[in-house]
Amino acid sequence: MSDDAAGRSFSKAEIAGQGERTFWGRLANWPLYRGFTAFLTASPRRQFVILAIFPLIWVLTQHLGPMLQMLRVSLTDAYPVAPGTEQHFTLQNYTRFFGDRIFWQPFFRTLIFAGVFTFCTLILTYPVAYFLARHVSRKNQVLMLLLLLIPFWVGEVVRTYAIMILLGNTGAVNMVLKWIGLIDRPIPFMYTSFSMGVGIVYLTALYMLLPLYSALEKLPKSYNEAAADLGAGAWTRFRRVTLPLTLEGISSGCTLVFLISTGFYATPVLLGGPSTTVFAETIAGFFHVAGDQWPTGAAFATIMFAAALVLTGIFQKLMNSLRKGDTK
Amino acid sequence: MNRGNRILLSCVYWAFVLYVFVPLVLMIMMGFKDSKFIGFPIRSWTLDWYAGVFANTEVLATFGYSVAIAVLSTLISVAVGTWIAVLLEGRKFFGRAALFGLTILPALVPGIISAIAFRIYARMLGIEPGMGAIIWAHAVHNVPFVVLVVSARLSTMPKSQIEAARDLGADPIVAFLRITLPYLVPAILGASIFCLLLSFDDFVRSFFLGGYKPTLPVLIFAKLKSGMSPEINAIATVALVLTAAIGLWAERFTRRMNKES
Repeated sequence: MSDDAAGRSFSKAEIAGQGERTFWGRLANWPLYRGFTAFLTASPRRQFVILAIFPLIWVLTQHLGPMLQMLRVSLTDAYPVAPGTEQHFTLQNYTRFFGDRIFWQPFFRTLIFAGVFTFCTLILTYPVAYFLARHVSRKNQVLMLLLLLIPFWVGEVVRTYAIMILLGNTGAVNMVLKWIGLIDRPIPFMYTSFSMGVGIVYLTALYMLLPLYSALEKLPKSYNEAAADLGAGAWTRFRRVTLPLTLEGISSGCTLVFLISTGFYATPVLLGGPSTTVFAETIAGFFHVAGDQWPTGAAFATIMFAAALVLTGIFQKLMNSLRKGDTK
Repeated sequence: MNRGNRILLSCVYWAFVLYVFVPLVLMIMMGFKDSKFIGFPIRSWTLDWYAGVFANTEVLATFGYSVAIAVLSTLISVAVGTWIAVLLEGRKFFGRAALFGLTILPALVPGIISAIAFRIYARMLGIEPGMGAIIWAHAVHNVPFVVLVVSARLSTMPKSQIEAARDLGADPIVAFLRITLPYLVPAILGASIFCLLLSFDDFVRSFFLGGYKPTLPVLIFAKLKSGMSPEINAIATVALVLTAAIGLWAERFTRRMNKES
C-alpha cells in the first residue's frame, strides 16, 4: 500500500518544507509564494472556487460549447456568413430533412444497422465475457483479457482494412471456401451490409466485452450454487440468476456500442457500398463534397444525435424496469 | 454437465481470439507479398514494401506528425483531466453530478457528430484546420478518459494522508504536489498512454479538422480510397506494431507500479 510512501517518517518541517534548504523549504519561505497561498487559501470557500473555476469554464466552453454552437448553426441560413450578407434564424434545415425522403433511408438505416450490430456484438461477446469471469482463474483472467486488448489498440482504419483483406473477392474467406470446394466463384461479401456489419462488430466488440466482464465478475458464484442446490438446471440458472443480475452491464455495453456504431464514418465508406449509405456519410457530404452547406449538416447531425440519445434513453428505461421487475 | 459447458465456452473464447487476430495477421502477411495485387494465395515473399516505407520521406513525416499531435494533445488532456478529477473527488458540492455528466459528454458523442461539432466550433474560435485544430479536438475528446482513470485511483487514496500532511504544516498546494500527485502517478501514466493511442489512431476528428497535411490514419484512408496495395499493408503494419508495443509496455509498466505502491 502506498500508505508507506506518504507515511515514511517525514518530520513536520520536511513535509511543510519550513526552514530547510530543500526545494520545498525555499519555496515555502519565498515571500511571493507565501502571499500567493495565503490569498488562495484565505477561506475554504475561496479555495474551492479557485479549484472549481477552471474545470467549470473548460467543461462549459470545450465540452458543451461545440454541441451548443452546432445547434445554433443548425438554426441559421448561412454559415460561415459571407461578407456583406446577413445571417437569419430559420428552421429550413430541419424541414429539409423531414421534407425529403431521400434522407430518411440512410437515417433509419443507420439506426437499424446500429441496433442490429449492437445485438450481434452482445451475442458474440457475452459467452466470451462469461467464460473469462466464471471459468478462468484470477491470474489467467488478466492475461486472457490482455490478449484480447492487443488488437483493440490498433486504429479504426487499419482494422477496417484488415476486414477488407479478409472478405475481398480474393480474400482469405473466399480462398478457403474455394480451396475446400464449397464454391467455384468468389462470393461478393464486400460493399454490402454484411461486410459493414463484420467491420463494425469487429471494431466495437471490446466496448461490449469490458462492461459485461465487469458485471459478470462482480456476481458472486454462490448465487449460482444456491440456485443449483434448489434444483435449478443450467439454463434456468442462467435465465433466472445470471442474466437478470448482469442486466446493468448489458445495458451500459449496448448503450456504448450503439452510440459508437452510429458515429462511424471511415468504416461504412470503405466497407459499404451504394446500397448501404449511412447517415454519417450524408452529414459528411454537407461538409466536403456539396460545398458549404454547414447549417444543413449541423441540423442533420443534431437530428441524429437526438435520435440516438432518445433511443438509448428508452432502452435504458426499459432495462431498468426489467431489472426492477425481476427483483420483485 | 459443468465440464462440458466449460469446454464449450473455452472453445468460444479461443474462436473469438482467432476472430480478433486473424484479420490483422492476414493484413500483416499481405505486406510481405511479392506482387502489386492484393489477394490470396501469396506465392512469393519480399521485404521491398517495407524498404519503400522507410525510404519514403512523406510517410515518415506523417508518422512524426501523428506522434507530435498525440504527444501534445495528451499533455493537455492529462493536465485538464487530472484537475477535473481532483475537483470531482473532493468535497461534495452543488451540481457535481451535472459537472460529471458534462465531463463525460465528449466520450459519448458519436464520432462523426463530435467531429463536425469541433469543426464548427474551431471555425467560430478562428482556429484554422491543421495541426492546432487536431490537437485541440483530440485533447477535448480525451479528457473524459483521463478523468475516469484518475478519479478511480483518487477514490482509493486514504484521506488521512492529506490530513497528516496538512497537520504537519503543508499548505494545500504542497500537500497536493507531494502527496496526491505521487499517489496518482500510475493512473496518470496509464491515462497518458491511453490518450496517446486514442489520438494516434483517431481518424474522424483528424479527417475533419486536418488541413492539407494528413495524419497517419487519414493517409491510410486516402491511399485505400484510391486502391489497395501492399504498400498500405506495410505502413499499417508499422503503425500496428508501434501501437501494440506501446500498449503492451504500458500495461506491464502500470501493473508493476500498482504492485509496488
